[in-house]
Formats: sequence, structure tokens, C-alpha cells
Amino acid sequence: MLKEEIKKALENPVISKALTNFYEAYVVAREKAYAGLDFEEIRNEIVRVKSYAAEHFDELIKKFTEQATKRGAKVFYTKDPKEVINYVLEVAKTHNVKTIVKSKSMATEEIHLNKHLKEAGLEVHETDLGEWIIQLAGQRPSHMVLPAIHLTRYEVSDIFTKKVDAVEPDIKKMVKFARKNLRDKFLKADLGITGANIAVAETGSIVIFTNEGNARLVLTLPKVHIAVVGIEKLVDKLEDIDPIVKALPRNATAQPITTYVSFITGEREHWDGTKKEVHIILFDNGRSEMAKDPVFKEALQCIRCASCLNVCPVFRLISGLVFGRVYTGGIGTILTAWTEGLKATKDIQNLCIQCGNCVKICPGKINIPDLILEIRRRLAEEEGLPLKVKAIYSVVNNRKLFHTALRMASKLQKPFKQGPFIRHLPLAFAELTQERSLPAIADKPFRDQVKKIKQPDAKEKVAFFAGCLIDFAYPEIGEALVKLLNQAGIKVIFPQDQTCCGAPALYNGVMDVAANNMLQNLKALEQENPDFIISACPTCTLVLKKKGLLALRNQKVSQDLIAKAEKMAEKVIDASYFIHKLIKEGRITFSKPLEEEFTYHDPCHLKRSLNIWQEPRESLQKAGLKLKEMFESDICCGMGGSYSLKFPEISVKILERKLKNIQDTGVNLVCTDCPGCIMQIRGGADKKGLDFKVKHSLEVLAERL
Amino acid sequence: MFELFKEKASALMAEVYSFKNRKEALEFIKGFIKENTSYEDKNSVVWYDTWFLDGERKEDLLAELPQITFEFTPEIASQAKIGINEVDGAIAESGSLIEVSNRIQKRLVSSLTEIHIAILPKSRIFPDLKTALRSFNLTNVPYVTLISGPSRTADIERVLTIGVHGPERVIIVCVENL
Repeated sequence: MLKEEIKKALENPVISKALTNFYEAYVVAREKAYAGLDFEEIRNEIVRVKSYAAEHFDELIKKFTEQATKRGAKVFYTKDPKEVINYVLEVAKTHNVKTIVKSKSMATEEIHLNKHLKEAGLEVHETDLGEWIIQLAGQRPSHMVLPAIHLTRYEVSDIFTKKVDAVEPDIKKMVKFARKNLRDKFLKADLGITGANIAVAETGSIVIFTNEGNARLVLTLPKVHIAVVGIEKLVDKLEDIDPIVKALPRNATAQPITTYVSFITGEREHWDGTKKEVHIILFDNGRSEMAKDPVFKEALQCIRCASCLNVCPVFRLISGLVFGRVYTGGIGTILTAWTEGLKATKDIQNLCIQCGNCVKICPGKINIPDLILEIRRRLAEEEGLPLKVKAIYSVVNNRKLFHTALRMASKLQKPFKQGPFIRHLPLAFAELTQERSLPAIADKPFRDQVKKIKQPDAKEKVAFFAGCLIDFAYPEIGEALVKLLNQAGIKVIFPQDQTCCGAPALYNGVMDVAANNMLQNLKALEQENPDFIISACPTCTLVLKKKGLLALRNQKVSQDLIAKAEKMAEKVIDASYFIHKLIKEGRITFSKPLEEEFTYHDPCHLKRSLNIWQEPRESLQKAGLKLKEMFESDICCGMGGSYSLKFPEISVKILERKLKNIQDTGVNLVCTDCPGCIMQIRGGADKKGLDFKVKHSLEVLAERL
Repeated sequence: MFELFKEKASALMAEVYSFKNRKEALEFIKGFIKENTSYEDKNSVVWYDTWFLDGERKEDLLAELPQITFEFTPEIASQAKIGINEVDGAIAESGSLIEVSNRIQKRLVSSLTEIHIAILPKSRIFPDLKTALRSFNLTNVPYVTLISGPSRTADIERVLTIGVHGPERVIIVCVENL
């Protein structure tokens, strides 16, 4: 089902083009919109305001209710979606309502309010232009802020012509057409339904943002106004709205401010002097439970700007039509887990590639990939793992078995091997090599080769943690590292009992195997008592240094072991950082500083999780190379570890863009510091017959010693 | 402060004019009405006035410009080309107007018409949102809107288009000595 939807979305020429064009303009415009402001300061404020609210929901609900009631609004709090629907239907009945106008509200979409209103014989009109188009078309929004971004002007003109009246596919004319047609609905409606962007407890006000001005008409013209407000919209003080007013439009659509920001604080009188009614439904549906969850309460800091969707390399290919349900994208997956239940995210949570591009842009500082990982873990715990996955990880869990299997594969691959690549695989595996060649497994893994390397006897010694890819596919990277470190007078030891770092298990929510991998590595590495532990794969570095500790804590291993693991974690350094330090100290020098142009691809985990990106560039420049930056150097290459096996169709689409960005530089050498990215980019280039080289920075540096 | 406000509001596509006194501002408004509407178009200008025309004879104004109406329903405002009201303040850092409307009529003229003329006392420009919020006692006001430029959408193909549900032009008439 999910696979079919992905296929459909990828085959649609509009979706990824529209989202990609928007993204490219958005990144630049957003920077401009924040000029002169300190984004970090603003988002720290948002975190303060929103996390305070989440910790004090009961108190704020009480305060808001008191204040709004005092000023004439009727406030109703409920945990139950059904009660929201019943309340709205009751109000409609009391006022003999026939037609309803609505301005965009995610909370009402969450409970499928429109469907229930229609079933009760009521006429409902969405009035936000995008939402109206989607409603007329009978579709689902593809983006939380840009609901109709997947449609062209021609499709919109068709929808209007079929459902309303004939209109040319001219955007200006269609906007006027919407104004004219919806104006009548506004004037005739008996009830207006809105959501709210903020609810201020101190004053009992709700605050609504719109660019089109439809919400102003929805809440002004009909005699009755109902606002359906999720309790996560609450803030304590009026001044708390300031950072949200600043960040929401800038992050959502790169605007400095939303055109209309309206405050409604209990209204009593209609335009003709008769009584006006304002109802505010404070709606829970899992939110107060979320606030009690030590991990997920962070997600209540979301201000629904959808910037995480804008920058997601997966979302921009398949949109919210595939990636998400009512709420879309990464944050949508997290919200869905609470509004619809964990099981509802079973398929979509897999779509996150864990690149972390959303983390740096989120105004609520929500670590979306980490929360999705937690969903993955809880799902694995609750639902159990599929047999196939279980079988794989039972092998990875046992180092000897795992390494024997890899050695066997190195023999079995012979018929498919062409030089360093596997270009075709038969049967069920065919898709894996359709768009990108795979690396052949090395005849001799690094763990065997290292024994033959003659190293100087040195006082300083570091342990090398190779990780599976360097050990079994790219041993030459390990050799380069040894060469570089030896020049600096450092001896490299290779603890033979080291195994997989645990990332594959960890990123699939299989925490027991991840913890076991971590413990095996801890034992192997600490035995040698090295000064430092060097890894040349940022994902391995990240797991040994940070993520693996989470797995250990999650599996409740003894405090003693955790303390030991923490001590080890302190010694773990990524090679890119360590080598840069040695170069800066003059301990590594280059005698063959060949001038050559290169471009650099930032591995996701190196840049965003370890915050290393300048160092490898500087090292390479010190070795005589000239940097020519590519466009989007820090956007994911599509590898994502096992992601490329789970969703090869998405993975290769992301890769195609990366390959194009590399080609556009006109440079013949791409350097990066992650063997996974090398596997992906090199494989794609081989398949397409592109003539640039893809190398680990360490290899390029070692060549120039 | 005014210069910053003008810069920010203009960037949002609002049109900002400044006048020394009420008389000059009124002349400008009258000229604008004449240019953009015909005296034959009854009710093509809806004007919600509370203080700006104090001391003026409204009968004279109506005789000169019969297209103006001071009393209107939502239906009439919806047909009108120009809506005029007084706004209660402005925010320099964002170029926004602050419209406080106790009575719904006041906001009809700025939300239903094609052109909104907002009369703004120069002394009521605040540096930022926080300062502005402190000067309005929201607890006594049922409805406040910050208006930042004309109504806009980009819902079809991300093309910015002006004048969806609200005005497509916002004319800010800033008055110095009141």
C-alpha cells in the first residue's frame, strides 16, 4: 500500500517539482526574513513559553476558561473528539444553522469535523483558498501550510470549472473568482468555525493568523463563532506570543509577518446590535498524555509552521499525500502517534531518513528524528519485529556469525562482481542495484590486512574502530588512516573483537541488539586502554559517542557498565576532527601537495550531529586542494544506512539530485568523510557512467603525505 | 520611528503617506476618493468615523462626495470599493497597523472592501509588538487585528497574488498634528 503510494507520487511530475522549487526559494527568503534577528534567541523563547505551558496544562486551561468566560465567551474543555463534534452539532441545532464557513483548522481536520457536519445535513465551506480547492476536489492536503501545492493552475481551473463555474487557468483571475464566490458564502453563513494559533490564558484571548483575511470574515460575519483549539496552543502570558508572532510566518513561508493577526477576547455584540456568541472548545485528544511522557512532551513545542516539511529531502519528493496522515511529514508522524495512536504510524514512521535537516530549522527545537526513532523503538517493543528483520539482527547480534557471513558473501559475490562493484543482482535483490552499483565485499577485510602493516613503535596509541563498511568493503580507508597517524607518530591498534557499531539495529528500533553491539565494542575497545578511539565513519562515531549510551540506558544495563561506556564515549573522536587537529599542530605535513579541485559532501551525522564541517575542508585545503562548493552540500545523499534498502526508490531520487549538484561544479573529485555516503555516491556515479572520483578525505590526504 | 514604520510597511506593499495636519489629510482622502470612485456610485465608499471628522460638517462632505456612506451593513461594505477607518496604532519593527474594534462596523471597512484607507495618528507608532501590547488593555477589547499590508495568497503554484478575501490595497494616512 505504502509502496504503491510512493510509486504514484514519484511518477507525478508536479509534486516534487513544486516542492523543490518552493524549497529552493524558501531557504534564501527565510534567511532574508530573519535578517537582523537572532533565531536562536527566538527559538529559546518559544521553547521556554511552550514547555512551560505543557507542564502547566491544567492550570492554564482553568485560567483561560475563567478569563474568557468572564468576557462573555463560552468555553468547553474535552478530551474526547466525539464530544467536540456533539458540541458543534448542538450549537448548530440551537441556532438553526444551515450553512457554515470555516477558516483553516488542523484540530477540526484531526477529528474529521467536516464529514460529521455534512452527515448532519449542514453545508460547510472551507474558505482558505488552498483548503477550498482541496475540499472541492475531494482530496487530502499535501502540506500543512500549502495544502494545494501539488496542483497546477490548470488542475485548479478544472476543479473550479467542474464544481463551481467556468474560469480560465489564470492565477489572478482564479483568485478573484474565489473572492467573489466565497463572499456570498461568508455573508449568508449562520456559523463560523476557526481554529487558533495561540490561546492566551492570562487574558482569555485567542490569536488567529491568516494571510488571506478569511478568518476575519469567518469570525466577524456570522452570528455565532466556534473556535476549536488544541490545548497545545495555550500560553500563559500575553507577551509570550511575541516569539511565535516572529517565528511562525518566517519559518512557514519566509514572510516577516502574517498579514492579519487577530485577537478575539470575548465578543458579545453582533454588527446589528443583537447578541453575538463566541464558543471556544479546548480540545485535548492525547495532548495532556503527551505532556506527561518524558520523551514526547518536547513535541508540544511545535507551533505548526511546517518548516520541517519544507526542508525534508524525503517530503519534497513524495509530499504529505504519502508522508503523513492529517498531520504530515516528520512532525506529522509524531503528532499522529498521539492523536491516532502509535499503530497509525507503523508505515509512515519508516519514511524518515534520519538526516536531521529539520532539527536545525525547527523553531520549537524539537528533535524530530530522535522522536521518530523513539516511535520506531516503541513499535518494535509493542508489535514485535517481522521475522525477516529478526533473523537479520540475530546474525548481527553475534559477531562471529556476522563476520563469517560477510566473509562467505565475499566468495559468493564472485559471479556478480565487476572490479570494485556489484552492478547487477538477480531476483528479489535486483532493485538494489537498479540505479546504483553496490561495492563488492573486499577479498580481505581490514581486520586481516591491518596485521600486515608495519607500524612504528610509538608511545601514543589510538584504537581504530572501523565499522562494517570500512572493515569489509573499503579497507583502503583504514589503511589511509594508519598511514596518516603513523606519520604523526601515533600507533594504531585494531581490537579484533570489535563488531558492528549497532547503528542498523538502533535506527530500526531494535534496542536490545544495539545495546549488545555496544557492550561487545566496549569490551573490545577498553581492553587495549587506548588514548583515543578513532572512527572514520560519522555514524559509528555518533553511536559510540552518544546514541549507543541511550540504547544501554533503555535496556537498563548496570550503572557500572553505563559508567564505563560513558568513559569510553569521551575518548571517541571522528577521524576528520582528529586528523585536522594533527595537521594544525604540524604533526602531519604534506610533501606532495598536488593542486586539484575538489567539492565536499557533508555527511548528515558529521555535520548535524557532530557539528564537524569546517575541519575536513580545511585539512584538504592544507594538502593543496582547492575547494569548489556544490549546491546543497549538506543535504542527504539518500543513503541513510538501511533506508536505501527499505526505500531504494526514494533513496535513488535523492541521490540523483546529489549527483547533479556534484556534476554542476564541473569538478572531478568529491571528498566526504562517511563510507556510507561513498557507497551511495560512488555507486550512483558508476551506474550513470559519470567520471568523477568519490573518495574519503583520509585517502586523499594520505596520498599527499 | 515613522521612517522605520514606513520602510517596513512599504516592503509589505502598503502605501504610506504622511500629512502635517488633519486638513491636509482630509484633502488627500477626498482627492483619492474622487480619483477612484464616481459620485454616481452610491455606497462605493464606506467610512467608519469616530473622531477624524470631528468639527467637519458631514453634510457638506456628503454633498461633495455622495458616494460616501457612514451607515452600512456587511452587504453594503462588501460591495464598496473603498473602506475608511481610524486605526489605533502601528508597529514600526513589522510595519503593522493595530486596529482595535469594539464595534464590528469598524472592521467591516478594513476586511470587506477593495481598498482600505487607514488613518493613523503619528504619535501612536510603537517600536515593537511587546510595547504595543502593553499599551492596549486587551482585556477590555473584544477584537484587535494587526494588519500588515494587503490580503495575499500563494496557494496556487506558490505565486504571490494580492487581494483574496480582504483589501488589495492598504493606504496608510499618517497625521502628525491632531
